[in-house]
Order: sequence, then C-alpha cells, then structure tokens
Amino acid sequence: MPLLSVENLCIGYRTAQGLLKAVEGVNFTLEAGSSLGLVGESGCGKTTIGMALMGLLPPNGRISEGRIVLDGVDLAALSEEELRAVRWRDVAMIFQAAMNALNPVQRVSRQMTEAISTHRPELGKEELLGQVEGLFQLVGLPLARLHDYPHQYSGGMKQRAIIAMALALNPKLIIADEPTTALDVVVQDQILKETKALQDKFHMGIIFISHDISIVAEVCQHIGVMYAGQLVESGSTEQVFYSPRHPYTMALVNSFPTLTGERKELTPIPGEPPNLIGVIPGCRFCDRCPRSEAFCKLEPPSWQEVAAGHRVLCDHC
Amino acid sequence: MSKLLKASPRLARRHPWQERLAEDWRVFRSSLLGKIGMALLLLFGLMAAGSYIPPLLDPMYHPMTGVDPLVLKSTPPSARHWLGTDFMGRDIFSQLLAGARVAFMVGVSAAFMAVVLGTAVGMTAGYMGRLTETILMRLADMIMVMPTLLIILLLAALFGKLNIWTIVLMIALFRWPGVSRVIRAQTLSLKQRPFIDAARVAGASHFRIIFRHIMPNVLPLAFLYMTFRVTAAIVIEAGLAFLGFGDPGTVSWGMMLQWVWKTGHMFTAPYWLLPPGICISLITLSFYMLGRAMDEVLDPRLREEGQRE
Amino acid sequence: MPPQPAPINVPDPILVLDRVSRIYFTKGNIFGRGAQRVVALNQLSLSIGRGEVFGLVGESGSGKTTAGRLIVRLEEPDEGSILLEGGDITHLKGRQMQDYRRRVQMVFQDPYQSLNPQVSIADSVAEPLITNRIGDPRDHLRRVLEVLDTVGLSPAEDFVYRFPHQLSGGQRQRVAIARAIVVQPGLLVADEPTSMLDASYSAQIFDILLGVRGQMGATIIFITHSLAAARYLCDRIAVIYHGHLMEIGPAAQVIANPKHPYTQALIDATPKFGRCEAVPVYGTLLSAPREASGLAGCPFFPRCRRAERLLCSRSYPDWHPAGPEQAALCHFAQPDHGDGEPAPGEACRLGGG
Repeated sequence: MPLLSVENLCIGYRTAQGLLKAVEGVNFTLEAGSSLGLVGESGCGKTTIGMALMGLLPPNGRISEGRIVLDGVDLAALSEEELRAVRWRDVAMIFQAAMNALNPVQRVSRQMTEAISTHRPELGKEELLGQVEGLFQLVGLPLARLHDYPHQYSGGMKQRAIIAMALALNPKLIIADEPTTALDVVVQDQILKETKALQDKFHMGIIFISHDISIVAEVCQHIGVMYAGQLVESGSTEQVFYSPRHPYTMALVNSFPTLTGERKELTPIPGEPPNLIGVIPGCRFCDRCPRSEAFCKLEPPSWQEVAAGHRVLCDHC
Repeated sequence: MSKLLKASPRLARRHPWQERLAEDWRVFRSSLLGKIGMALLLLFGLMAAGSYIPPLLDPMYHPMTGVDPLVLKSTPPSARHWLGTDFMGRDIFSQLLAGARVAFMVGVSAAFMAVVLGTAVGMTAGYMGRLTETILMRLADMIMVMPTLLIILLLAALFGKLNIWTIVLMIALFRWPGVSRVIRAQTLSLKQRPFIDAARVAGASHFRIIFRHIMPNVLPLAFLYMTFRVTAAIVIEAGLAFLGFGDPGTVSWGMMLQWVWKTGHMFTAPYWLLPPGICISLITLSFYMLGRAMDEVLDPRLREEGQRE
Repeated sequence: MPPQPAPINVPDPILVLDRVSRIYFTKGNIFGRGAQRVVALNQLSLSIGRGEVFGLVGESGSGKTTAGRLIVRLEEPDEGSILLEGGDITHLKGRQMQDYRRRVQMVFQDPYQSLNPQVSIADSVAEPLITNRIGDPRDHLRRVLEVLDTVGLSPAEDFVYRFPHQLSGGQRQRVAIARAIVVQPGLLVADEPTSMLDASYSAQIFDILLGVRGQMGATIIFITHSLAAARYLCDRIAVIYHGHLMEIGPAAQVIANPKHPYTQALIDATPKFGRCEAVPVYGTLLSAPREASGLAGCPFFPRCRRAERLLCSRSYPDWHPAGPEQAALCHFAQPDHGDGEPAPGEACRLGGG
C-alpha cells in the first residue's frame, strides 16, 4: 500500500466572480521514502494541493470531491479537530516564505520546544531541549545559535530551522512548497542536498512543489506536471524530463536555460493560462498548444500510458 | 483620469479606484456603525437642505430675522412653532435646520482645508526627507501641542468678533498637523516601493513624483482623516459660539446654546436647550462612526481573509 | 592594495566604471554603537562594449544590484567615476541629468512593485516620454502602442487602458520593459527581470531583451544570480562576490572553463538540468567558512578550499589572464593549466539517482 494516495481530488475557491476550480480530478500516489515533484506555473493548483494535504485550505476553499488517503486514513473526511492531530505529527510542511513562518519575537529554541510539546505533552523541559539540539545538528545549524531570535539568522539558517521544525515529530510525509525560492544558489544547493540526505535517512515521503523544473529534477524521483488545475503528465524524472510527451511539459523543458550542453534557442510558451472560473469543455492547454486540433477544444483529453508508469493527459500521444 | 485615457474613451476601462470603490462599498455596507452613521448623516443632510424652506413659507420663520409678532418671548412647542420659540419669538425649529447647514459648512470646509494642507505637507516631508522633513515636522509638532480653542479665543479677543469663514480658516490652520503625520508615515513607506525608483529613472521631477505617483496612493487615507477632522471642526465652532465668540451673523447650534444660556433659559426651556445639544452630539457621533467604518474598509487587517487566485 | 582593473580591453566602450565604490553605513543603537560600514562595491572597474549583452552575476549581497543602481544614477558612488560614451556622469545634476535619463533606462526586479497600481498601462509606458518632453503629446499614444507591440503585448489596444493588477506577472514585466525602451535608450540595465516570475515566463523576457538589442542596437546590462540565464543571454559576464569583481570573460567560455574558485562554486551549486555526463564538479567551496586573518587578503579566502593560508589570507590577488578575453582575480588562476579540472564521477545525480 502506498504511503499517500490522492484520488480524484477537486478543490474549489469561492470568489466574488464565482467558483474557482483550482484543482480538478488529480490522482497520484507516493510510496514511503520516495519523492514526488509537482511542477507548474503559479495558479496551476500545486500550492493548493499542498495546503489541502495539510488541511490548511483558506476559509473560502473546500475539497469538493475526492480522497486524500495517508496510511489508510482519508484526510479529506477528517474534522478540523482530527486534522490538527495529524498535522505536523504525520504530515509536516516546509513553507514557501520561511521568513514569515517564524515568530519574530520568540527565541527559536522556545518556538521549537513549544511546537513539539503541543504534540508530545509527556516530555519534560530537558528532554524537549535535547530533542531540539538533536534537530539542530541534523539540519546543520550551529548549537550556539539555538537561543537566538529569528532575525539574527540568515535566510539559509531560517530555512534550516523551518526544516528542523518540520522534522521534529518524525512525520511520514513532508510537503516542501518552494522551500528555496528566496535563497541564493549556493545556499539552495546545500539545502536541497541536506533535504535529500534527511529523506534517505528517515525514509519519509516528500512532495516537492516548485515552478522551477531544474530544482525538481535535482531532488525528486517522480514528477507530476500540473497545468491549470490538472495533472497533465506524470512519471519518473527521467521519463518526464528526458522524453516529455505532453506539449506543455515539452514547452516547459525547452523554455529553460541550461548550464551545460549546447546553447540552444529557448522556445517561450505563448499566451496565458485559462481562467479557472467557469467550465472548460476541452483540453486546457489547447489555446497555447502547437499541436492543437479542432477536437481538442471540444472534448476533454484522456489519459494515455506511454511507458510503464509514464502517463500523459493528451490525445496526441 | 489621464489625458491619454480621455483621448479614446472607447478603450477606457474602469480605473482601479472604481473597482476598489465597489469593493469598499461592499465592506462598508456590512458595517453596522457605518450604516447608522450614514443614516444619521442623511438625516442631517435633509435638515440642512430643508433649512431653506421655512423662510419661504412665512418671513417669521427666518432663523435670524424672523420674529413671530404674536409671541415675542420664549414659548414651548406648539402647532405654529414645532419646537417653540426663543427669547425674542424666533422659531427654534427653523434655527435648528439652519444650524445643520452651518455645521456641515464649517465642518466639511475646515476639514477639507486641513486635509489638503496636511496631505501636501505630509507628502513633501516624507518624500524630501532631511532638513525639509525636520522643519515641516517640528512645525507640525509645535502647532499640534497648541490648544486650538484657547488660541482662537485669544485672537478673537484681540480682533473682535470673527467672521464664520475666518473661524473655518483658523480651525483648518490648527488641525492639519495630525493629518500630515499620518500621510508622512504612509509616504515614507511608499517611497521605498520600486515604482518610485522607476519614476525617477523615467525622469520624473520631485514635484511630479509627489503629485502623480504618491498622491493617488495616499488619498484614501487622507479622505478617512477628513471625517475625523469634520468632528473636531464642528465641536470647536460650537465651543467658540457658545462662549460668545461665534459669528453673530449666522445661526449655529453653538450660537443657539449661547442664547439659551445668556437669556437665562437654561433651566426653564428644555425645548430650546435640548435640540441643539443633541444635534451637536449626534452629528459628531455620526461622522465618527462613518470614520470608523471607513477605517475598517481601509485597514486590510480588519478585512476577512482575501480570496486566493 | 587596491584592486587593479581587469586587464581586458574593450574597443570603443559605451560605459566605463572606473574604480567605483559604494559604502553604506548602518545605524547602530541610539548611542551610535554597533554602527557598521558595509562596503557594497569595492573599487569595481568594468568596460562595457557597445551593443553587447553584459552579465553581472553574483549572489544577493554581492553588490550587483548596487552596481546597476549606480549606473542608472539612482545612487551616487562614494568613490570612482562612471563614464557614458566618454562623458563623466558620476555627479550629473539638473538639465544634464535629465538628458542622461533619456539615454539610460532600467527594468526592475519585481514587476508587482515597479508599476504604480494607480496608473494605467498607457500612462506608465508614456511616463518617460512625458517627463522628458519627447515628441508631440498627441503622438504618445501611437508610440506607446508601438512599444507594447514590440514587447509582445498584442493587440496593444487591449492592454493600454488596463491597470497593473489586471495583468499577470509576465505581462507586467513586459510593460516595465516597454516603459524602459520607449525613449530608445542606448543602455538598458535589467536587474534580475525574471527572478520574481515563473520559470516558464523567463524565456519570453529573455527573447524580448535580445530583440531590444537586435532592433534598437541597445547595450544591455543583465544583472542575475543565475549562471544558466547569463549563459543563454550574455556575450560577456562578470562574476561579483561581496563587492569584488572575481572573474570576467566571454559568457560561454567562463561557464565552460571557469578559473576562479568562486565561479566554480557557483557552477557546482546551480541545478544541472541536462544530461549528466557533461556535468563537472569542482568542489571549491568549504562547507564551513574559516576565519579570515585580516582585511588585506582575498575576499573569497574564508570559503575557498583551494586557498593557501599564507598567501591568500595576506595578499590581495592580482588579475591573471585565464584565456582569450578572460581573466580571474585569483593567485592560482592560470590559463589552461591542470588546476580546476572537473572531477568526473559522482557528478551524475538526477532525481535522487
């Protein structure tokens, strides 16, 4: 049984203009100890999925259909009370804006001990501090900085502290939402390497959310490409990035400058993603797709299995 | 709207102000304070507008010069005089209506002037910084700590009776510093935004940056402060008039209270004392409630969670 | 010892930075204690050729953005001078400054912040025309439509009367580029124009910048933290670390054959999104920085694995030619010497291998 299986997940937001279907009919599974990267432009629903997995959708958002089964428990059906117990203990999140996830007026050590003690009230003060020290060593933070305030940390250190917090309760699943966007390349590289090492060590599942395919290609074994609320291609990293089959994935791969290999022309993706309020009968990418034909606009595309484990939502494959 | 936009109205879209106003109006309507304040103001507005009617019906209903030849002294309410008459037989109801008009005039124009001045000073100080800021802000501090009423009383004592517009001007001159402080703070944060750098690189002058790029972004705040300044102006004018330093040529609520007191009807004519007193309280209250509701509209922290894209 | 200019000659440069320094003072507490002197740029010297796309590459805090702000004169340097077409513009004022604004323009990093939310696209783009009193005001609208077409916002009539919040990030950045090129500047500074955008929009912005160079012959200074982007876009790049110029040379050559340990470290850290076999690993970065013994030494000494304490911590390096038109500020840099060879193996890692 996979660690996580998301089945036909649909999420909508109520807005002043109408119901915005941010995520529609998304399916994927994740084995324990493996990592899945969700890539796509902003607004494609990748962050919404992350929030739904944490049970942290904003008040106007709601899971309208589908199941999120983590270790046999359907998270979508849990009450807020039950979710609170699952959150951090079973599913932890590394947030996009690490800078804002720490409380500026509390020492880092205090924030971490409090976070742990809410889930494990049986621990004493000494034990808690010992745990936090262990976590600091794990993520490569100097122990001397344990009792600092967050503003005394550099961006990379804050991100490490956030990772340490996410690891605190030994969760089965970690969701990392653009954990390195605000960081420099050198620090980003270190953090990515450490995240991978920690994942191997603790055999966790990781869902890595990013708009930057080069980062996702670096850390994840499996990739899901999202476009306009739907998963459009999924498979192993090699399959998706070296032999992409969906026109959107191909365009993404070709629009990215590389450091090695020949200096080829980049091909930008023309146009903008569709508005997700209202009904889109056909393929969502057809307006920007070089291969689109008349029927693409009218009928929804179907899933094609192009290789073992490599699936594409496009009728042209 | 801009010149370019006027050039071809066919293409014109809604200005962000229009969209924002629509959204703000939605938030405003959901506020009880705002609704009450709005209703009260509407009532006072009707009173002010209606103040022109009684003198047309009969010259004796003129608030200042009209005297009921049959009365000539203070009488309780009757069918002929709904709120009674004052010491010389003038109609209190038509005076009350005229008072509403004066209150609006004094309040809104003094507040408007104070806000215009305060906004200009605040933006200039915030944007220019350095010595300009120091001088302007110390000046503001000095004026802010002066007791407005006392100074105006002194001036009135020196120069004799004050014209209503002089009073308005004085209130404005003493009431801008608070506005300028707030606008300056807002300007300081706007100044850090890259679009100001972009305007500088585009070659915009300081003057243009202040009035073209900063001003549209501080105007909502300035407007909010105007409602609070209206309250202050009305209270100051009423205080002045009650103390006998009002414009003898106008009928304001403060003036009416002074007449009650001066002619010794304080404890004998509640029909004369209460209406102007209540009106002063209610109109300041209604502007205050309006301001609070607008505060809620402008302060994003008080809004409900925004929608996600 | 003050750093010498890199020994690279550019014939007929459009812009010359001559030992430009910028120093900030942080405020301490109310007693002035804890106030710090932060050198954002240390005697930076650069010559930028006419019509080239020049990349300034570095991490945040390296001073690359400061350099850009000095060039467009949003700030003035504390030392040194800046020359545009041979004329000193370091401390221009008034009329001459206004003239400079027509010749040098900038695209800012964050398109969500660099457009005034209360100003329509038409007015934003027309702003430089209005402030510089260029052309007949009645022609402004036509000119605005033209440049919006140039940056790929077409039909332009659909965009002119919108407001920033009605556009996507990529569209906003194109508006910002349109505003910068509407006065046909000879020099355009682009400060990380894609770092706030989705990766999929970057290629659009790159192509527009290349188009601007091609059609208008403008020189472009492209400030970025991404070597991959610099490789795609730039003719030459300069790598900056903590305000010091570290390496300079033709973009493809520097990236394929970096001579400075810092450039090598940057290449190591960049996610390799390509076939594994071609990826070298230099391993020049120390995982934990060491203490620097004085201020005189190489700025990269605390993090450099190859550094030798006696030499590198004490004397500021000289420029060493490192290939055709390429030079590195490192005691150990030598053209086509054995050092810095990529260590093969372990390089290939993709998706956790």
